[in-house]
Amino acid sequence: MSISTNVSDDGNKLVIIMDDKFDYVKAQDFRAAYDGLPETVHHVEINLAATDYMDSSALGMLLNMQKSLSHRNLTYSISHCRMQVARVLKIARFDKKFDIS
Amino acid sequence: MRILVVDDESINRTLLVNMLEQEGYRDCMSAESGEQALRLAKENPPDLVLLDVMMPGLNGYEVAPKLKMMAEGGYLPVIFITSLDDKRSIIRCLEVGGDDFMLKPFDRHILAAKIRAHDRIRTLSKRIDEQNQQLRVHQQKVEREHAIVEHIFGNAIVNKPEIQAYFDVVVAPATDFNGDVFLCERSPKGGLYFLLGDFTGHGLASAIGALPVTRAFQTMSSKGLAVSEMAFTLNQTLYSLLPADMFFAASIVEISESGKRFTIWNGGLPALVLKNRSGRQIRRFVSRHMALGVLQEHEFDSHCDVFEAEEGDQLMAYSDGIIEITDNQGNQLNEEGVAAWFTQAPDVSAHTLYSQARDYLQGRAPDDDMTLAIYRCQSLDGLRHSANVSALPFAISCTLSAEDLKADNVVAPMLEMVNSQQGLGRLRSDLFTVLTEMLSNAVEHGLLELDSTLKNSPDGFVKYYALRESRLAELQDGEVQISIAFCPQQQTLSLCVDDTGNGFEVDAVRKNQQDDAYGRGLLLIDALCDRVWHENNGRKTCAVLTV
Repeated sequence: MSISTNVSDDGNKLVIIMDDKFDYVKAQDFRAAYDGLPETVHHVEINLAATDYMDSSALGMLLNMQKSLSHRNLTYSISHCRMQVARVLKIARFDKKFDIS
Repeated sequence: MRILVVDDESINRTLLVNMLEQEGYRDCMSAESGEQALRLAKENPPDLVLLDVMMPGLNGYEVAPKLKMMAEGGYLPVIFITSLDDKRSIIRCLEVGGDDFMLKPFDRHILAAKIRAHDRIRTLSKRIDEQNQQLRVHQQKVEREHAIVEHIFGNAIVNKPEIQAYFDVVVAPATDFNGDVFLCERSPKGGLYFLLGDFTGHGLASAIGALPVTRAFQTMSSKGLAVSEMAFTLNQTLYSLLPADMFFAASIVEISESGKRFTIWNGGLPALVLKNRSGRQIRRFVSRHMALGVLQEHEFDSHCDVFEAEEGDQLMAYSDGIIEITDNQGNQLNEEGVAAWFTQAPDVSAHTLYSQARDYLQGRAPDDDMTLAIYRCQSLDGLRHSANVSALPFAISCTLSAEDLKADNVVAPMLEMVNSQQGLGRLRSDLFTVLTEMLSNAVEHGLLELDSTLKNSPDGFVKYYALRESRLAELQDGEVQISIAFCPQQQTLSLCVDDTGNGFEVDAVRKNQQDDAYGRGLLLIDALCDRVWHENNGRKTCAVLTV
């Protein structure tokens, strides 16, 4: 298991699906997941359905993604968070920058 | 073949025995009365009896049924020898238990032919009798074995009542053994798991697979594995275990600690149906996969549906036994039929649905096992309170050398040790975050002396982790000590991470702003723990978490 991605049929949305651990080990792979983002994409969704574990480097990676893509007019969401993961995101006030569900 | 000749007149006896001997029947006994015949038959059971009707004492009509009763091992032919040629006497011969009759004076060839014919029937009857005997023994053996297996199943496949209480379940096997399985377990993360499955066929052969599935499900639940991982593991287990024509259609569902988020893997089972508080169907979770035990490891797809439901919503899972039932006109109920019943009112119990299925069958027996399970979205707080927390204090400590630190997932084995303790699994996510942060700080700032400000730019962020990797690869000296201690009285877990580096300016790191891509680690530790402090100029960080 690792990171997988898919672009919606209409090309509008990129979904990045994380596995059970979202930590510093994923730094390179996460960066690669949104590299060469197609022009059609307007929304990036990070699917954390499988994610049980998260550390602050994951938070860094998420912010870093927004910084790297700041020249594009994109919206972001984090979906299917488990309670504990949602808590970590909330502690870090990520609800200000991401649509969290 | 032993033949008993019964006649009160000695001339007849001699004549008959003579005839028989000429036909090759050398083992003959003769009796001059009914009483003697019974005695002889008792001592040396005959294979065939030639019986005179009119005798002083017991006559032929009386002796025949007695001889029949005494006979063991199947059919004993009794042929009446009579000079009475009126219809009524002959009919009576046959009615009292005789099998045939010969009229005096008789023809040797006809007698011999009759004896051979009856011998054939006797041989056949003996064989059937033997086979019956074998069948009886076999049946007793099977019954005993079934009783043993039933006993084992009854003890092995049992859900904990406090967990099953969250589900409304009906399990109706078509035979003694159930090819359907409903299992539910507590998740160490605070939620629930359930599995509803159906082995191909029914009866003992299909039930046998339930044992390994139950054991694997219980073990995986206690470890809090993801549904996708459970599906993957069960598939592998069953693929290697089951014959090619047998498989296990199943839905595996995790209910999150909130009590209303579902992660569903459905392979080969009818769609799970979700309805809202007012009874309207809001979602179906169709089977996206082949049943478990069919695909090889590399073909297997463990993708799951995730759905956030509302409190009061109800999720129903069921096996295909119920959709295959037909009414008198031969109409199958189908998935639509079951969904319509489920959504006919806001509250429909599993038992009501089962009764409706029985009515639909109009007295006919169902062909397959039927299982129905309904879960209503609700708070699972009660579950948390009922979970026992280990009463034993313990401490784990390990010293990681530079070499040890080069491996990924250094904290995983320590986490496993803590999570495996009763009731502590619910801390797993928090513990991971806190311990990983503490270790990252010790390694990155203590031992590798990396500069967090590097992480401020996107490129720097990647550079930071690249630098981390290269410096760690070169690291020769330095150690990190991790200790974790559990105190059952205070229900606290104390963590200490101690490194041999040069220490770091804790306050400087803490001052960083939210937007920076660093400094958030300590913030997280602060928020997740009850207490956090640093010692020894930042070389040692301690934290306390409450269970």
